[in-house]
This record gives sequence, C-alpha cells and structure tokens, in this order.
Amino acid sequence: MGIEARLPDGILLTSVEKVVNWGRAGSLFPATFGLACCAIEMMSTGAAHYDLARFGMEVWRGSPRQADLMIIAGRVSQKMAPVIRNLYDQMPDPKWVISMGVCASSGGMFNNYAIVQGVDHIIPVDMYVPGCPPRPEMLLDGIVKLHAKIKQEQFRERKRKGESDEEFARRTGWPTAEETEMEGWAAHQPTRKSGESTVAAGTGHGQRAGHRAGGEDL
Amino acid sequence: MAGSGSGNPNMASGEATKLRVSRLPESQLSEQLRAVRDNLVGAFDGLEVIGFRGELTLVCPPELVLDVLQHCRDDAGLSCELLVDLSGVHWPAGQREELAEETTGWPRYELGDEAGRIELDYIVRSLLHNHVFRIRTSLPDAEPQMPTATGIYRSADLMEREVFDFFGVDFEGHPDLRRILMPEEWEGYPHRKDYPLGGVEVQYKGATVPPPDQRSY
Amino acid sequence: MSDQQQVAPDRPAQDDDSDLTTEQSREERAVAAAAGTMVAPHTYTVASGEWEDLPDAVEDDLMVINMGPQHPSTHGVLRMVLTLDGETVVDNKPVIGYLHTGIEKNLEFRPWVHGVTFVTRMDYLSPLFNELGYCLAVEKLLGITDEVPERASAIRVILTELNRIASHLVWLATGGLELGSTSAMIYGFRERETVLDILEYVTGLRMNHAFIRPGGLAQDLPPEFNERIATLVSELNDRIDEFEDLLTGNPIWIERNKGVAVLTAEQCLDLGVTGPMLRSTGIAHDLRKAAPYCGIDQYDFDVIVTDTADAFGRYLVRINEMRQSLRIVTQAVAQLPDGPVMVADKKVAWPAQLALGPDGIGNSPEYISKIMGQSMEALIHHFKLVTQGFAVPEGQVYCAVESPRGELGYHVTSNGTNKPYRVKVRDPSFIHIGALGDLTNGLLIPDVIAGVASLDPVMGGVDR
Repeated sequence: MGIEARLPDGILLTSVEKVVNWGRAGSLFPATFGLACCAIEMMSTGAAHYDLARFGMEVWRGSPRQADLMIIAGRVSQKMAPVIRNLYDQMPDPKWVISMGVCASSGGMFNNYAIVQGVDHIIPVDMYVPGCPPRPEMLLDGIVKLHAKIKQEQFRERKRKGESDEEFARRTGWPTAEETEMEGWAAHQPTRKSGESTVAAGTGHGQRAGHRAGGEDL
Repeated sequence: MAGSGSGNPNMASGEATKLRVSRLPESQLSEQLRAVRDNLVGAFDGLEVIGFRGELTLVCPPELVLDVLQHCRDDAGLSCELLVDLSGVHWPAGQREELAEETTGWPRYELGDEAGRIELDYIVRSLLHNHVFRIRTSLPDAEPQMPTATGIYRSADLMEREVFDFFGVDFEGHPDLRRILMPEEWEGYPHRKDYPLGGVEVQYKGATVPPPDQRSY
Repeated sequence: MSDQQQVAPDRPAQDDDSDLTTEQSREERAVAAAAGTMVAPHTYTVASGEWEDLPDAVEDDLMVINMGPQHPSTHGVLRMVLTLDGETVVDNKPVIGYLHTGIEKNLEFRPWVHGVTFVTRMDYLSPLFNELGYCLAVEKLLGITDEVPERASAIRVILTELNRIASHLVWLATGGLELGSTSAMIYGFRERETVLDILEYVTGLRMNHAFIRPGGLAQDLPPEFNERIATLVSELNDRIDEFEDLLTGNPIWIERNKGVAVLTAEQCLDLGVTGPMLRSTGIAHDLRKAAPYCGIDQYDFDVIVTDTADAFGRYLVRINEMRQSLRIVTQAVAQLPDGPVMVADKKVAWPAQLALGPDGIGNSPEYISKIMGQSMEALIHHFKLVTQGFAVPEGQVYCAVESPRGELGYHVTSNGTNKPYRVKVRDPSFIHIGALGDLTNGLLIPDVIAGVASLDPVMGGVDR
C-alpha cells in the first residue's frame, strides 16, 4: 500500500502530499474505454485540435492494469456492467473515474430496461461531465476540475467531528495507531485478490470518491 | 392527409390472421412490382397481396415462407440476391381502439384479435432487377415457431437470433439459436408488447416524473 | 535406451511445474519412466512424453481466445471469441449486445418527432443518416413525400453527404490508428473537426443533431453558409489528397491491407453485406443510384467500385467516396432552390420558427409574441403539436438510405396513433457482424484487426 498506510497517527506530510498529488494529476493515464457517441468526442479531445497531450494524458493505456483514469464515455448497458466492474477492479490504486456524458452519469435519455441508470451504480465516480455528448471543451473542463480535486487529496483521511477511533478505522479501513505498532501487523493483513471489490470495504485508499477535504460532507 | 383511403375496418370478419394494414388500390404499385406480384401469385397459391404507398407485400402462411423465399432467390425474373431484413411485430390479443377522429383526424377503428400474433416480415431485394418487396407471415404469439431461412440466405442467421431474442420465436434448424443482444441469462422477450419498457422514475427538484411507459401524455 | 532416459539427465534440477502431482521425487519418476510404467495414474512429465495422452488436451491444439469487449483495437464494444490454430483464426464468433440500448422499444413510447432524437444516437458516426431514414419512413407513411420542399431535400443531401465524409474520416483515423499509423488518426480527426464546424454552424451541435425532422428540417441554413462550404470543399479536397499521399502508396499500408480479409461477391450477397464492402467486390450497388431519395439523382456523381474485395479495395472505395461526396455537396449548394424548409401542412410541421437567441436556439421572439399575445388557436395548436404530436396513418413501410456503412433501412409500422407502433432499424453494421466469421477465416490476428477495421462496424448501430 505504500507510505499512505504506514504513516503513524499524528503526522501530516504536506509538502510530500503536494508533490505526489502534482505528479499524479500531471500524468493521468486514461484507459481506452469508449462505449458510444461520447467515445468519439473523447477521441476528438485526444486528437490534435483539443489536445489532451498538454495534460500529459496522450498515452491511452490499452490495459486497465496500467491506467489510472477510466473515462466511462457512453451508455452502459446491462450486459456491459459486469465488464466495467471487472475492468475497474483491475486498475491499480490510485484510480479515478470520470463519468462522461449523461448516459454514464444517470442513464441519460434512455430510461429503460437495457441501460444502467448511471455508472455510479457500479463503480464510484469522481467527476460527472454532463452533455450529450459533451463538447471536447466540456470534457477538458471536467479533466481540469479532476486535476484540482486530485491536487487537494490528502494521504490520511482526517477524522470527522465527533468520530471515534473505531468508527474512523471502520470507515477508512486504515489501521488504528495501536495496530500499526503491533509486531508483524503487516503480515496479518489479508492480501487483496484482484477482482475483489473495494467498494464494500469502504476503504479510502486511492478511492477518492467520498473523500472530502477537511472532513466536510458535500 | 393523403393516406386516408384506409377507412376500411374490414376486420369485422373476426379472422384472427386478418391484417390490420390499410389496403390501397394496387395501381399504386409500379410496373416492376406488378410483374413481381404476378410472378409470385402465379407460382404459389394462398398469397395475399397488399400494395401500400407503392410497396408490395405478399402475405403467406408460415409453411410457405421458405418455398417463397427460395423461389425469390432462384427465379430468374425475381433474382433476389439479398435478404435485406427480417423483423417482427407483435400484435397482442384483445380489443383495441384507436384514437378518435377529433384527435387524429382519422376515423375511429375498433380492432380486435382473438389471438395475439407475431408478424414476421422478410424484405428481399434484387440488385439485378432493382426491386424490393416484403413477404409477411403471422405466427401465434403463444409459442411461435418457424423454420429457419439460413439455408437460403445466410444473413438470416443474425436476424433470426435477434427475432428470437426480442420476440421468442423459435427458429427450427438454426445452427446457433441464442440471445444476441440481451445477456444470455435474460428472461423475457423485450420487444413484445407485454414486456414493460423498464426504467425508473425521475426525480428533479422535488417533483417526480414517471418512466415513459407510464406517462399519460 | 528410451528417449525418456536420454532427455531426463539434461533437464536442470528444478521443480517441474509440468508435473501434475508433486508427491514423487524425481528419482522415482525417472525410474518409472525408464521402466515404461507409470507410478501413479496421472504422472505426467515433459520428459516422459505422455502429453498426447493428457486427458484435458485440447483437440487439434486449438486455442480459444477472447478479444474484447474492451480492447484498444476493436471498434467499440465488440467481443470476438477467436478459435486459433497457433496464430491463425479458425473460427470467429462475435458476441455483441454490450451497447444494447433498447432504442427501438423506446421509440414506441414517444411521439413521432421525438423519435428523431433517439434514432440519431444509434449509428453515432453518421447521425444524420439515421435521422434521414427515419424521417423518410415517417413521411412515406404520412404520404407527404412529394410535399417535402425541395430546399429541404437539397439541404438534407448536403448534410448527409457531409456526414458521410465525417464518418469515413473517423474510419480512416481509427483504422489507421489500429494498424499503427498515429498520423492517420491525427489527420483524420483534424479534418473531421472542419466538417463538424460546419455541421455545428448549421444545426447547433457537433454530433447527434436531431436536425432532420419529419416534414423537413428544424431550421433553415444560416447566412454565410455558402462561403463556409466553399472553403471546406477546397480544404478537404487538398487534405484528402494528403491522406492518399500518406497511405495509398505506403508499403506498410499496402502490406497490411492488400489481400487481407477477402469477402467475395457471392459471400457478400449471401451474408447481406452492402455498402463499401459490396462495392469493393465489383458490384456497383449504391442506393443513391438504385433507389434515389431526396432528389439525389439530379446530382452528378460516380459510384466507386474496385474489384479486389480486400481491405485495400475498401480503403480505396471509401477515400474516393469522400471525393464524390464533396462533388455532390458542391453541386447541391450551387443548385440550392429557395423556399421553405418544412412541409406546408400545419398539422405535421413543427410549429415554431426557431431563432438564435442569447441562450441558444429557441423559439423566435416573433413567434412567441404571436402565440402568447395574438392568437389563442395558434397557442393551442402549438401546444398540442409539441406535446402530443401528429398521428400517422396505419401502415407499414420500409425506407432505406445509403449510409456510409451500407444499406440503412427503417421498417416502420404505425397503428394510427401519435406514437410509432414498431420501428425496426435494419442497420448495416449489425448484418456485417454476421460476416465476421467468413471475413476473418484463416487470417492471422493482426489481419483480424485490419479486417474488422475495413468492415467499419459501429457498435451503436449493431446493438441499437
């Protein structure tokens, strides 16, 4: 898990966070995952006119295992939903998801048996970009806002007001201070198998959906 | 509207397979299509001819369909190389009324079908003679079965799978009849009229809008 | 000495993963192998050569590999289950439906005009063709095909031919990218931007325009259209030449496309394949000539045909079709008649006159003042027509247009109400997916990619 899980309680790393976040935001690798019409606009955004390379994102990774940004561009059908979940689980942390277009955000105009009404029924989403399809400028705006969101992430989840240690540990899944001081704590951790869902565990690691700066609920 | 020659609710005869489509004078058909019609009517008994908006439709019982298709493909005067489309329309059983004249401008129809049926339309096109026409048949909608046309036109392969997927028509002899667009384990046949549209109600600023198939407008 | 004994001592002393059981030691196994007997019922080692007897061995060494639905080299969410003999494809079973949206069923619950917005999102690379086919079918049912104004028909032709160019450019861009030419991708999308600029200028949107409505068009052409088209045509002609310079004589392009994915004329017809695929086999079948629509037969253009029936032939067909489309556009703009763009029948025509206001396109202020201030009947009429829509006579028609991929047909059934009863879309990409088995038979995997690229399927049309 890296430095994020091993920080003892009570240490804030602000400069390191800034540098790491800057690095992460500056070179997001999108996974090639276009579904429908929005995919064409996504390709246009990556092409010469509305260039994505200026954000360091011109490298579209074919394999989700090498990508950290998944742009769900297009309508998600019932048959595709398990595939999306599989791909999302294959992506390593930290990962972000942009839901591009109204079909991915909420089912769009297709309110029927065949379309999942919003990809956030399946995976956690960091940025919703509406539009049918969104213009490349709109997608770029969404990406820039996602960069801003990434840049304000913190290594440690901060405790919310009135939250006890146990609740905090349960919410983030991170070890409490006593646990990290335990001998051989790391060896007791179950290894996460690929494909295992991280949503149910409610961990905050790399899954920045639900992360709120300063612990405020938005 | 130009098409209101369709004021002929001749469905009163009560035959379940009577077609609901307006029949306009066959003079609307072009020379070419009239030749096609003569060819087919001469070759097969039991064909009904419909001309609507210049299109030729031949209605035949399900048992005859494959023979008609074979004839269309092999006959030199018809030479239909392409099976353009195979589609289904579901007309469920039950009395139905159409909208009244005040709202549509068309006369009121009362249409009834004792039994529901699934209409299959085979549209064939000839490149040589440059004509296109339709062969229609009706299957009962309870357990629709039909022999496969893949022996005549291989393009029927995917089309029949789609009709199976959406209407439940079982094509006998099809090499690989399984669902094509819906997930394999899906239950129900979505394009039938008794299958709901699905969908959720939409909430916006405190008000809710029902899904499209439950709206009243 | 048996072969086993000769081989065994050369093997390095390491744990064989090839053993199915790990209980016996290597000495025991070697002894057993030398004796020609097996110690345990299922002890297999590479040395002992019993791989042929392995019960789970796949017959004929065929391997089943899944390609898709997420793959950088398939056009959208197409899944192909390839049965491979080494790297040669023996069988190809496509699995589709990953983008199924139920558009056809959606149309049954919306008024006829709203159908345009749904239908436009099926084949999303050529939305105007979808709209055109649908509107032609609705107009045929209504019986107003002759009453659609000529200006509307001419503008429909212009817009759809521009869309054909845009679609072929995307094909070229993605096809080039899949075969390794990133320049083709960048050029293609750059050219496409110029076409989309014009389409945005006319319709307001870059994609999924919902501009062609039953009865005519949503709006008339804006001013300066002629100048922009003239610039576009001259630019595009030069840029298509650039494309040809890059690709047509390019030895890499030729190697990867010539002789690849051959589909003969008989196979095409049997499998229902139309469009550039059919024209690359030598059959000059183009619905714009065979069954013209929207007055397209008054323009002078050629039907491009090659006879090599391979991916390179299809490439040539599409590149030259772009040029022919530019020809049609030039002629149509030059011969553009004046007049209305919507049918005169007030019961069908979209009631509002649209204009560009501060917040986008909407009802023009004059029209609003008329219905709100002056005429109650106009308000009621507008209201009814916009919410309930018009009713279409009972019947069933089939209308086909020549989309960039082939014959795009609309089989529309009406039962006399204000909503369609059943709209079946005969999408060419769906039929072409059925041709994948024949197309990729005996090809190597990279050729499968070239073949699928030359087929140009758009999954929105396949799955609808």
